[in-house]
Amino acid sequence: MNLREAVIAVSIALMIALLAYTIGAGGLGPIAPSRLRDLAVSYLINTYNPWNITKSALSLEAVTAIVWDYRGLDTFFETSVLFVSIVGVALVFRGYREKLGLGGKGLSEIVKTSTKVLTPLILIAGISIAIHGHLTPGGGFQGGSFIAVLLVLMSVVFSLDFVIGSGLTSSKLLMLRSIGLVGVLSTSVALVVLGIVLGTHAYIFQNIAREGSPLSMPTWLLDRPTGGTLLFFNLFEALAVAAGLSLAFLVLSLRESEVEEALGESEWYE
Amino acid sequence: MGRVSGMSDLVITLYTIVVLSLVVNIGISLYGVFTRPSLVKKFICLTIFSDTLNSFAIAIGFRRVSDTYPSIAVLSSVPEELSELATFAETAVDPVPQALVLTAIVIGLAVYMFLVGLIVMYYRHYKTTHVRVVEGGSVG
Repeated sequence: MNLREAVIAVSIALMIALLAYTIGAGGLGPIAPSRLRDLAVSYLINTYNPWNITKSALSLEAVTAIVWDYRGLDTFFETSVLFVSIVGVALVFRGYREKLGLGGKGLSEIVKTSTKVLTPLILIAGISIAIHGHLTPGGGFQGGSFIAVLLVLMSVVFSLDFVIGSGLTSSKLLMLRSIGLVGVLSTSVALVVLGIVLGTHAYIFQNIAREGSPLSMPTWLLDRPTGGTLLFFNLFEALAVAAGLSLAFLVLSLRESEVEEALGESEWYE
Repeated sequence: MGRVSGMSDLVITLYTIVVLSLVVNIGISLYGVFTRPSLVKKFICLTIFSDTLNSFAIAIGFRRVSDTYPSIAVLSSVPEELSELATFAETAVDPVPQALVLTAIVIGLAVYMFLVGLIVMYYRHYKTTHVRVVEGGSVG
């Protein structure tokens, strides 16, 4: 350990001591308070409140209500950041192409058969997590990441050739990702368009009727609450995240020689 | 740490240990980010750092309910009357940090994905993930 590392270690130890002292002295408020902040109480009371419908999201889960209703615009831009990052990964690995016939037989027949049984189960569990996002813990992102495991599992068990050969190419995945984002966008402006058609007032990202704009998304499907826009947001977000993460895994798992060959020498070392 | 009656000293001590170990974890992961020369190890330390901060934010949303554990911020059935909502708000944890952490995880994942891509390209270019090589110094 040289002098530079020692200085870093001492200053970090000092930071830990100060941070611990600050927290211990109540700098972040009491840790584990018995009383919640007023904002949290307001969210908890209003998340499913048919007696005060102009402040409610009509979602049984408070976290999804905050994420996609009260702070919907935040979450839209968060999804956009994820989209931009996937575009960035595709840009860093620009010029690659999926080549077949590079060999790779995958794992043994036993593993392959059990994976074939597991594949639909993973898909259905992921979709279920996503579309129950407003009823149980979970949501679009969680369900989407659950489904994205499928591509990793398949590329390990069946080989990358099988995945690309079965039609999961990066351009198709990017298209699915874009469909998801367009779905999120169109859900967020659906009530505005309806308001223009009907001649009434409506807001972007409006879910349930608010003061001065009486339009609402459908809140019940058969005998279950749908949370209005939340169901659609979770569904499209799951599609977008599953396709986006799969795309990133696919691009990152391409072989080095293929990328070098695809890029050529021209702009490789600039 | 503010003490509230109705909770035993043991639980408060355990909770203090959890919070303290999270703070120590922040320090250790930052040390790794600053001093490890390999980009992959720096990256691993960065993910540990962000996971620690997320756990810390969730811990801030925790609350003490007099004689039982707090419930998660999800209504288990459609409420029939207004008093059920009041009971729910008295026993559930704070949903705001959870929503913020969800956003933070997604954005963190987006950044990490891009970083991993950059590190892979770095390795293909320089045949190493050691940062000093590029600075012109010697390895070690």
